[in-house]
Amino acid sequence: MEQVVLQKSNLNHWVELMHGGFQVVAPSRVHGEIFFLPHAGQLESDLLCGNATLPYLPPKDIVFPQSETLFSFTRDAGDIAFSIPEKAFERLVILGIRSCDTAGIHWLDNFYLNNFRDFYYHDRRDNLTLISIACNQPMNNCFCICCEGGPFLNPEKAAFDIQLVDLDEHYLVECNSEKGKELVNLNRSLFSPPDPAMVEARDQLEKKSHTLFLHEPTSYMSTAIRRITSNSVPPEVWTELGERCFDDGGCTFVCPCCSCFGVGYSSKGETGCHYRFWDSCDYSGFTREVSGHNPRAEKGERFKRRFFHKLSYQYVKRDGRIGCVGCGRCITACPGEVGMPAVVERLRRG
Amino acid sequence: MIGDLSLYREPEMDNIYVPNKARIKGIQDETYDTKTYEFEFVDTAVKEGFRFLPGQFLEISVLGIGEAPFGLASNPNHPDSFRVTIRAVGSVTRALHELKVGELVGIRGPFGNGFPFDGMKGKNILFVAGGIGLPPLRSLIEPMLDGRSEFKDIQILYGARSPADLVYQDRLKEWEKTPEIRFMMSVDVGDPAWIGNVGVVTTLFPKADILTRNAVAFVCGPPIMIRFVILELLGRGFAPENIISTLERNMKCGVGKCGHCAVGHKYICLDGPVFSYKEMMKLSEKVV
Repeated sequence: MEQVVLQKSNLNHWVELMHGGFQVVAPSRVHGEIFFLPHAGQLESDLLCGNATLPYLPPKDIVFPQSETLFSFTRDAGDIAFSIPEKAFERLVILGIRSCDTAGIHWLDNFYLNNFRDFYYHDRRDNLTLISIACNQPMNNCFCICCEGGPFLNPEKAAFDIQLVDLDEHYLVECNSEKGKELVNLNRSLFSPPDPAMVEARDQLEKKSHTLFLHEPTSYMSTAIRRITSNSVPPEVWTELGERCFDDGGCTFVCPCCSCFGVGYSSKGETGCHYRFWDSCDYSGFTREVSGHNPRAEKGERFKRRFFHKLSYQYVKRDGRIGCVGCGRCITACPGEVGMPAVVERLRRG
Repeated sequence: MIGDLSLYREPEMDNIYVPNKARIKGIQDETYDTKTYEFEFVDTAVKEGFRFLPGQFLEISVLGIGEAPFGLASNPNHPDSFRVTIRAVGSVTRALHELKVGELVGIRGPFGNGFPFDGMKGKNILFVAGGIGLPPLRSLIEPMLDGRSEFKDIQILYGARSPADLVYQDRLKEWEKTPEIRFMMSVDVGDPAWIGNVGVVTTLFPKADILTRNAVAFVCGPPIMIRFVILELLGRGFAPENIISTLERNMKCGVGKCGHCAVGHKYICLDGPVFSYKEMMKLSEKVV
């Protein structure tokens, strides 16, 4: 992995160069809320530093939109013609994606690209470059350290193309792929080799960041994983947790790893489409069958399902890692206060 | 309408979500609410390349109305004339029942693992079917009859709600007559013309002289029927690995992506729909 140094004052220039071949998405404020949006004009530099606020939503929708057409059809003279939407983008860079969200996309890669490749996911992901930012300062709800989701990403295990480490006046630019190299090669003269002190500072920052997590959200994942895997959590614990769930699906929609979708059908006259949309295993209708039979009619069963998918070793074997990256967004989203750390703590108590 | 239809491109071959066009070649009325459809793919390459295993399923769509999974119900040795049997219960199946010979549907698949076949050779085979559970089993019964000498005893127990609910009536008459299989059926509620057994399918068990040694049972039907049949089989000494059944869930994509059919760490559409009872017991959720 190549490490080079970029002066922060050169960041805007570098991004301008990217616009020659890429759309660029970066965190931006809209009425005070932070979203990943197409970049235009000046970058908001405080959202691209090592202690920046985590946006409420991950940029998951760039690879897996909230809804999208699977295909459209037109009936004509006894025949049917199918078509699919144009590519969402030719090439796109997400600048300033956080470690946890990069880990989330890595989870989605494993899931969507293997064992029947998802055409639409692949179409986007193939043309996507991730410039991740390491977190020097975790936020209050962060627990990525328990989930291999950050605060710094390990190049051997992560899906970033470039990781930026915030060293005050500079970024240490860690180049982890050919796609990453391509961006650095846009203008090599913007970058310089790091002096040893910078590399040392980077390692110190990573160590320090590990010590800054708050006690509350960090969790004994391993106990919860063991209990869920062995199916030894008493049903009444799931019922108790399920009773605090509002069935709102919020946790699934803010989760960087949640990947379930429903399929909808629409037609008008001789044309129509089949589309998919984010769905949630929180919803009682998720498993309901036409006959009315519902295998997970009880809230507690649905609650168990969600956490079994996220944490069981059976799924770790299948998907390569747990389905949680420790971003803490479910804590923010859940009105019943049963986000991941609260559940893990409850399972630890037995 | 979702999506911008003014910009579009041709679907590519590796797009798992875009169906192949298939034409309805024949429709057979089975009961007052059930019909069997024979399909033919429009694209010659798709038609000639189509193969399936007993127990696999198709995702069939009435475009703009919906898509649903259906177990293949015909002999895999004749993939050129594949059939599914469809009971009208929801919006997709009711729309399918409106279609006529020559009309087009979308088909994706075949998907799923299918029933074991070669490993069944030399064994006594028991089929227990309830209602619309017979069609998927038929995709296994027919190829076994093609290679009849390779299997030992073949016994079929079939239960339906009433005489009017029995599917494949012509074929049932042949099965009753042929010495190649032992066939019995029952209805939950008879009618004045019915002279056979009355009661749920498990009421046939004491009368059926079921072979339990070197035997494998295939069970397909509604969830409650599967539960009672499995209990009955276990009580007669069938080992859990020799009881093979199918699980059904609300599937959407058919390819393990949408998450709807996940049970424990398995996806019914990818790892199933066929599971042994031994495998079912290892799932972290109660399934039967």
